[in-house]
Amino acid sequence: MIEIKHLYKSYEKPVLKDVNLSVRRGSIMGLLGPNGAGKTTIISILIGVTRKESGSITIGGLDLDRELKTIQSKCSYVPQNLAFYPRLTAFENLEYFGALWGLKGKKLKERMEFCIDIGSMQTFANKRVDKFSGGMKRRLNLAIGLLNDPEILYLDEPTVGVDTQSRNYILETIRKINRERKATIIYTSHYMDEIEQVSDEIAVIDEGKIIFHDDKQSILTRDDNVFGHRTLEELFLKLTNTSLRDEN
Amino acid sequence: MIKIHYILKKEFLLIGRDIHAVAVLFIMPAFFILIMSLAMRDLFELHSSVNIEVLAVNRDTGKSSGAFLKAMEKLRTFRFHLIDKDTVTERIKEQMLSRDYKFALIVKENFSSFVENKGKGKDEKPLELLVNPTVNVQTQLLLKSALDERVAKLRWDAFIDLIGRLPFFTGIDKGKLKSAENSPVLVNYVYKGGQRFKIPSAVQQSVPAWLVFSMFFIVLPLSNTFISERGQGTFMRLKSMNVSKFSLIMGKMVPYLLINAIQVIIMIAIGVYVVPLCGGATLTLGNSLGGLILISASVSFSAISVALLIAASARTTEQASTIGGIMNIIFGAIGGIMVPKFVMPGFMQDLANISPMSWGLEGFLDILLRNGSVFDVIPESLSLFIFGVVMLTMTVIILRRQKEV
Repeated sequence: MIEIKHLYKSYEKPVLKDVNLSVRRGSIMGLLGPNGAGKTTIISILIGVTRKESGSITIGGLDLDRELKTIQSKCSYVPQNLAFYPRLTAFENLEYFGALWGLKGKKLKERMEFCIDIGSMQTFANKRVDKFSGGMKRRLNLAIGLLNDPEILYLDEPTVGVDTQSRNYILETIRKINRERKATIIYTSHYMDEIEQVSDEIAVIDEGKIIFHDDKQSILTRDDNVFGHRTLEELFLKLTNTSLRDEN
Repeated sequence: MIKIHYILKKEFLLIGRDIHAVAVLFIMPAFFILIMSLAMRDLFELHSSVNIEVLAVNRDTGKSSGAFLKAMEKLRTFRFHLIDKDTVTERIKEQMLSRDYKFALIVKENFSSFVENKGKGKDEKPLELLVNPTVNVQTQLLLKSALDERVAKLRWDAFIDLIGRLPFFTGIDKGKLKSAENSPVLVNYVYKGGQRFKIPSAVQQSVPAWLVFSMFFIVLPLSNTFISERGQGTFMRLKSMNVSKFSLIMGKMVPYLLINAIQVIIMIAIGVYVVPLCGGATLTLGNSLGGLILISASVSFSAISVALLIAASARTTEQASTIGGIMNIIFGAIGGIMVPKFVMPGFMQDLANISPMSWGLEGFLDILLRNGSVFDVIPESLSLFIFGVVMLTMTVIILRRQKEV
């Protein structure tokens, strides 16, 4: 589904160095990495917001450089920040983003109702978002990303700062979307348990390179002698070492 | 088209629910217009016509005092409000202060004797002028000179009457000896650069001035939304949705053009309907709707472009508010918003021409005050448009560097 080959990107210094990654259609891939490893840069290139320096990317058989608009219409991106308008209601936010997706009339209404349902927002859809709790805001952030019924969903730390119940609800929703809509999902998070819970495959990126990529089941059942780990977190720390990664 | 409809709806909802934006864009200029139109009324009228209200007491029973007051009123500069002749001086002072008169004139019992130079009291001063100390010296001198001149004229005419037929015997025409009614001074105005010039009234100055000022204040809500969208990742989300650069810029420009248009309608309506209800003059609208639309659109385009540049350059809403606020106040102070250009010294009037607010204000004055047409506001509109294009180009360059569009 997603094929990344020899991807390079630099700003003042190199951020991505020969990234190679393939994601299967319909799978959920957990993308792990310390701060500044290059997770957000990969996603911003995949969604067409940042230009790559070199390398090739194909998504669903389409070349990203040549078919960007078509690819963008099939994808959706849920940023780590709460990317909506707090002074609008949930309903108004969904209506605005839905209209920008080109939805209108009955179709727009249907998609909004679907998103309100999936975000479990029926009772507060007409309330201003700045009155919402952290969990409600996160659910709206995710719901906006589902308006265009995407084939590929990019989720950048979608559960930051929410309570356990909302977090569990969001993870179940992601699973449901993957199961029922057959959506391919790339999911970044710092929470290892989350990645373990939702992912089918896991990739670890550090210093601009994919240093590990495998099926979740293989990773968790792999012989201790290979990496000497008992949990995903242990594996991650062994791969990326324990030194602090303060961004500057 | 549908997208623009939802973009407009979103921006209007955001502004409508932002009490600070509503206050800055609509309530602040409305108050400024009302307050300045009323507070500056007398000051502005001094520049176009002088109309001085005077409380008067005529204690003289002779013929000359009545003729004197009538002659003074003929000058059309003074209006005398006569009160009972037995009113004591202390009561006159009280009435003067309580009824907001700047002057009170007491015509004493000896006025006719003084003018005719006969009888009791002919050597005492026949007029007493009570002056509110807030009145400027020029106005005091104006009234005092007019009183002196009228009394002197009456005395001269009385003297000519007194000498009876004496001039006839000396071969002098008595009619020619009497003082002339018309002023012997011919007044001609000299205009700088041959330009048309007309002094505005307080409302004619205040409405366009504070309107232009408030139009530029869209920097606050615009930068607030823009910086939040950028900081919260909304721009990134929109770009991932294949929303074009053009739509992003237009999505900011079109709603604020409409908001500026609503400001124009409301502020002009306040000048036409509300200010007169409060005792001020009525705003005159001129005869060119096209000119009004052109200059309004030009000011709006320029203001939005500056606001976008500030929003793109600033990192936080606090930075944008501070930079935008200071810049607007400087533009306003230089550009004749806070102090009208015509009272500024020459070099300050020249300096005012660097402020885009001055271009906008002059354009509005061309239409509202000088009855100008579309052609009269083309120079100001063109300057504002070019200024806007330069600001917008800089905005796009900055956003490209920041990889935002």
